[in-house]
Amino acid sequence: MSEAIPVVLLIVPFLAALACFVIRSSACRSFIVIATAAGLAVSSLLLQGPLAPDAGLRWAGIIDPVITGGDFLLLAIMFFLGCRYRNFLIIMLTASQLGLFAWLEFFVFAEDQGHALFAVDILSLVLVRVVCLVGGLICLHAIPYMQAHEQHQNLARSRQPQFFAVLLLFLGAMNGLVLTNNLAHFYFFFELTTLCSFLLIAHDRTEEAVGNALTALWMNGLGGLLLLLAIWGLYSQSAQLDMGGLVAATAGNPAALLPLALLVLAACTKSAQLPWQKWLLGAMVAPTPTSALLHSSTMVKAGVYLALRFAPAFAHTLLAQGLMLAGGFTFFAAAALAIGQRNAKKVLAYSTISNLGLIFACAGIGTPGAVAAGILLILFHAVSKGLLFLCVGTAEQQVHSRDIEVMRGLCAQMPFTGMIAVLGMLTIIVPPFGMLLGKWLVFEAGADHVVFYLMLVLGSSFTLLYWVRLAGTLLASGQTTGFKPEIKPFLTRFPLAALGCGAVMLGLAAPILYGRLLVPLTSLFPVGRAFSAGQAGMLTTAVGSFPLIVVFAVAALIGLLALSGVSKAMVGRKGTAYMSGANTRLPDHFVGPLNRPVRAVVENAYLVPLFGEERWTLWVNLAATGLLFLMLGGALWK
Amino acid sequence: MGLIDKLISTARRRSPWLLHFDCGSCNGCDIETLACLTPVYDVERFGVVNVGNPKHADILLVTGTVNLRNREVLTVLFEQMPEPKVVVAIGACGLSGGIFREAPNVVGGVDKVIPVDVYVPGCPARPEAIIDGVVLALEKFREKSKGKGEGK
Amino acid sequence: MMQTAALALAVPCAAILLGGLLSGIDRRLTARLQSRQGPPLSQPFLDVIKLMAKERMVTNPWQAFSPVASLGAAAFALVFFALQGDLLVILFVHMVGGVFLVLGAMASPSPYSQTASQRELWQMLSCETLLFLIAGALYLTTGSFRLSELSALPEPLLYRLPLLFAAFFFALTVKMRKSPFDLAGCHHAHQELVRGVFTEYVGPYLGLLEIAHWLDIVLYLAICSLFWATSTPAMILLPLAAFLAVIMLDNVAARLTWRWMLGWGWGAAFVLSALNLSWLKG
Ligand code: SF4
Repeated sequence: MSEAIPVVLLIVPFLAALACFVIRSSACRSFIVIATAAGLAVSSLLLQGPLAPDAGLRWAGIIDPVITGGDFLLLAIMFFLGCRYRNFLIIMLTASQLGLFAWLEFFVFAEDQGHALFAVDILSLVLVRVVCLVGGLICLHAIPYMQAHEQHQNLARSRQPQFFAVLLLFLGAMNGLVLTNNLAHFYFFFELTTLCSFLLIAHDRTEEAVGNALTALWMNGLGGLLLLLAIWGLYSQSAQLDMGGLVAATAGNPAALLPLALLVLAACTKSAQLPWQKWLLGAMVAPTPTSALLHSSTMVKAGVYLALRFAPAFAHTLLAQGLMLAGGFTFFAAAALAIGQRNAKKVLAYSTISNLGLIFACAGIGTPGAVAAGILLILFHAVSKGLLFLCVGTAEQQVHSRDIEVMRGLCAQMPFTGMIAVLGMLTIIVPPFGMLLGKWLVFEAGADHVVFYLMLVLGSSFTLLYWVRLAGTLLASGQTTGFKPEIKPFLTRFPLAALGCGAVMLGLAAPILYGRLLVPLTSLFPVGRAFSAGQAGMLTTAVGSFPLIVVFAVAALIGLLALSGVSKAMVGRKGTAYMSGANTRLPDHFVGPLNRPVRAVVENAYLVPLFGEERWTLWVNLAATGLLFLMLGGALWK
Repeated sequence: MGLIDKLISTARRRSPWLLHFDCGSCNGCDIETLACLTPVYDVERFGVVNVGNPKHADILLVTGTVNLRNREVLTVLFEQMPEPKVVVAIGACGLSGGIFREAPNVVGGVDKVIPVDVYVPGCPARPEAIIDGVVLALEKFREKSKGKGEGK
Repeated sequence: MMQTAALALAVPCAAILLGGLLSGIDRRLTARLQSRQGPPLSQPFLDVIKLMAKERMVTNPWQAFSPVASLGAAAFALVFFALQGDLLVILFVHMVGGVFLVLGAMASPSPYSQTASQRELWQMLSCETLLFLIAGALYLTTGSFRLSELSALPEPLLYRLPLLFAAFFFALTVKMRKSPFDLAGCHHAHQELVRGVFTEYVGPYLGLLEIAHWLDIVLYLAICSLFWATSTPAMILLPLAAFLAVIMLDNVAARLTWRWMLGWGWGAAFVLSALNLSWLKG
């Protein structure tokens, strides 16, 4: 039974995608998407690890050839895309991948016997649930969103069938990627997500969209090539493709460090780490469900998954140190670049890059506690960030802009979306919510390394700054009465509400999850600090403790008190903002020349000279490249 | 309850925060008002603070005449002050329009626009008189807070 | 358990008394330095009691939410400190107070409070980073983030963290809203931005924020006492000296621009702290 679930999680999205593509009726399509999302959610919750050591072997005879064939098909499609858009880089990258893959497949890989097709441990369980639950909610949100999106476009023929087909395919690819135990299969799913992301980014077919999609394709193509080289190297070290086996076999083997470094580099491209951030920033041109999916539950999470999965293999090597510094640098630099942004979606994008950097750093620190923190960060980040992307997308459809200054006072215009967005931001920066717990765990795990700790402190302060600023901007309005929650379809409201509840409540599960993560992780890491499991409701590391339940209870109490204060304030006289007495009837206007009302606007200080991306991207990229070379050098150092 | 009310009333009397608004004064009264805050008179001894923000103020000191232009501002500032609050009009101008009262754009004294509790005469009013006016205003506080003050 | 509950009640109360008293000392001392007599020591309490009894008036509902959250966070952080908890947790909880202060200030469209909020964000950034570096130094010297480990140290932390102490003094000045770094809301009644981030908070809300400010200062002084945690008199004298020094500085310095604060003040403090941390490691 439990063995069938991974297959369900794999096959159902593919079939549903096919159905979406073929059936053109929009009602049927909505039904298929809802049913698939529900089905995936239920099966992901039913899934339990660990599976039998021969899980899925029965189907190996079918799955193996299908995936190999699929690999060739994928590479051929990408090659064709490269030719069609005359992109020399893509042609080169895919051609070399095709050659290398064919050679590996036919001459190098021996017939693999007896290794499980699927492996489910707590890491893949967390990931599967993130993909299916968060990803599923994003798909639901996409149904009304895409209808509104196409209304502006006056298309002769709806392009929604393709869109939803790719969306569901993406979920299937991610499920495969985190469930598979075979590195060659992993490569297939890795490439499949690359292709899906290309199709999703290019969806609107504008020049900009296609251009950015091509950037994504070549950068991830490079990642694919690096991954393939890494697979080759790893295979030549231990002659197996079993991922669990590879981790165990390569740990402590200095010769395996180079392929591991290539593997980490491939993961970095996938997760848009500096200096490869460009493709993820460019992905913003796509409709919101795409960016929500790419940023929260899929795609970029594939990279960090890979790094965390192989973290035990390179723990406590120079490679790991390099990865820690590179990740820390990305965390800090991307947060700094986010400060200089007045495009709300770009702020979200830089924040994603920055948080992924933190997760890579966790893989680099390489203690059980750090890796557990990384896994928790994946989970909390997916929920909070998915929520924020959906909110910003919903807002964008209303105000027709991504400019933060245009969204000023959004909470008065769209109280429901606005307040959930502010809540989502608070869950990222304020205890006792998940993201902050994760960050706290990283602080505790990384304080031994002074340079990393400095980057961590700066990065998290910058993060606090841009989130508070964005939340405050959404709140800024002088409206005191007559808030009317905007009318939105159920399928827009439900994902927002569900993710909002998730973002608030999930933090409570952190101690249990952390405890459960530590046990298997400790057995994986040869060296590591001793840790205490801690009491219930208490998050304990070797060097500190977070009384989570108490903080949660007090936070709830303070929140209730504050809310009762609000309800008291709402009955009294309402004030107007201080404008040196020159107020008008409009809440944010003062009396200007000729008695005309003038809007008083103070824009946020974005400090573009200090944090602007135009000025810094080049230097930041150079520094990041330098750190990655340092990491490679660390791998080669014997 | 009696104790708390007493405490609040004491606190109100001993912590009067001022907002000084120059309506259309010749600056004579303004200079005298600000002189109260200098070391010579040092009204901070009695907890008086010149806050320059209606939202924090308890006492509104108005100097000068009200004209057609600044009457709106005066009203807004008065409205932005939270209860309980008192208004002190200072100088001949603040009382009645003073030497400017015949001017075409002048409305007259402060009490044409907002209710005034204490009148401090003089041209300019002397600092001692202004301080005396503030002390009188504090007595008004006590009367007012018995009547309509928000209380706890 | 009972003891913890009693402590949780007693600590904020004691801290409010102490914070208010310090504020009174501050006002009186400043007046003396300006050859005035100054208000009585009880003045801050009278001010707050008066504010609490004033009318509630908001321009945005968040202004009613924020002060409660801010005060709650400040009190909670202090209780954690008294319980000798994890310094990182204390700092994270303490940070919440600043977050809500800014959110409430930004919620009003008043240009004064908006401008001041931007400055307050930079001030928060300056203070938080330095405090987290102190936490890092605590870890590097004692091997733990828990304050309870500190008493086992043979010699005062100050000997090993002199540069970090200088940086902390900068943070204290910023936090106490004193010149030259009182950009976002001066502790005196007046400034070029009316009253900075506090401009839009009326009556009881301002009163709550004032109490939260006292608690914050007490927490900072408590952190200051960590630098000499080996002897009780020093634990009192060191923060007191720092407090008096800030007041002196306030009376001789003019307000600087935020560029100066961020570039020279915070920049220098950060570099000093980083240097100090790298010694510890070596
Ligand atoms: S009362 Fe006299 S001193 Fe005062 S404002 Fe009028 S004219 Fe000037």
